[in-house]
Amino acid sequence: MGTESSNPLETLNPLNPLNLTATLALIIFGAGTVAGALGVALGLGGGIFLVPFLTLVLGFPLKSAAAISLATVIATSSAVTAQRAGNQLINLRVGMVLEAATTLGSLLGGITAQLVAESMLQRLFGIVAIGVAAVVLGRVNKRNVILDATVDPGRLGGRFYEEESRGIVSYRVKRLPLALFASFIAGNVSSLLGIGGGIIKVPVLNSWCGMPLRAAAATSALMIGVTATGGAIIYYGRGDLQPLLAAPAVLGVQVGSLAGARLAYGASVKWLKVLMAVLLVIVGVLMFLRSMQ
Amino acid sequence: MNRERSATQRLEGMIGEVLRFGTITSSTMFAIGLVMSIVRYQPAVAQLLLVAGLVILLATPVARVVVSVIEYMRERDWTFVMLTLIVLLALAGSVVAAYF
Repeated sequence: MGTESSNPLETLNPLNPLNLTATLALIIFGAGTVAGALGVALGLGGGIFLVPFLTLVLGFPLKSAAAISLATVIATSSAVTAQRAGNQLINLRVGMVLEAATTLGSLLGGITAQLVAESMLQRLFGIVAIGVAAVVLGRVNKRNVILDATVDPGRLGGRFYEEESRGIVSYRVKRLPLALFASFIAGNVSSLLGIGGGIIKVPVLNSWCGMPLRAAAATSALMIGVTATGGAIIYYGRGDLQPLLAAPAVLGVQVGSLAGARLAYGASVKWLKVLMAVLLVIVGVLMFLRSMQ
Repeated sequence: MNRERSATQRLEGMIGEVLRFGTITSSTMFAIGLVMSIVRYQPAVAQLLLVAGLVILLATPVARVVVSVIEYMRERDWTFVMLTLIVLLALAGSVVAAYF
């Protein structure tokens, strides 16, 4: 990286692109690729992996890492949703309803992030990651599909072609107030920690609100873009989001997403859930250790 | 019911187009700007491309919501006009929180 500075950002004056070494760009690009592949494969934004890497490995302040990560979350959401539009996995109506809650949450989180201490954010990140891992592991076998295409899914429900059962399946959406509440919290945490918020919404939508995992993930992928934008605008305005650092991360995540989509297509849902839980526990513990330093 | 589903599919197609355009434009600008920064060619232009790429990246989901508001207005689906307007208002709130 060319210098021994304890904070790599000090060497990177945003007004002077000459300071970005090719090595650092390549490292960020690589981290983005891995995070993007894992994120898409698991139906998450990838931020849950990118933020720990940027803070724990590269030593970025959490706010900068969160801001960069939010940019990648937006890119992932836009790319993945553009690709999926029309295949009926995305539940547009549920997405639009819940977005009202996620964006209000992200506005509040973006403001809060400017006011609380770094170690507080790290501890929150750890708690969120481990908590979600527990929820996911506890409900590994839930599918939520009605194997009958003629069942009326209701105004917010949906139908799609499911790989596992090789047929059209239907589902109904239950407990909308709970989904709204979870979305508000997800939006809040999204801005605070630089993640999409899918780690909160997807398990709730899947476990308690009746949505099959793939539909919940596709709908969440739609929502995280606009949610992350709310937070990213605040970080950008406050000078924490540097285009020069966001660019390699975004490009890396884009490349990784393409690979991740193939990975998700082949793997079983159950296996993905277990992998997600294990990774989240590791990330949570590391973040907690960091906050103690 | 069927009309509602086909309207939703239409909107989904439009959203897909907006997101595709935004993604390709911002990623292209990022890629060119980044390579120019690394090889130290025209730093001012490189910086401009990177900032423009970021602004387009942030504007893409906002544009998607605007398209949704217009489309729901056309459908006279007032519940969803209201919901999508709340989203736009929250985003406007972020701009206010960012600069004031």
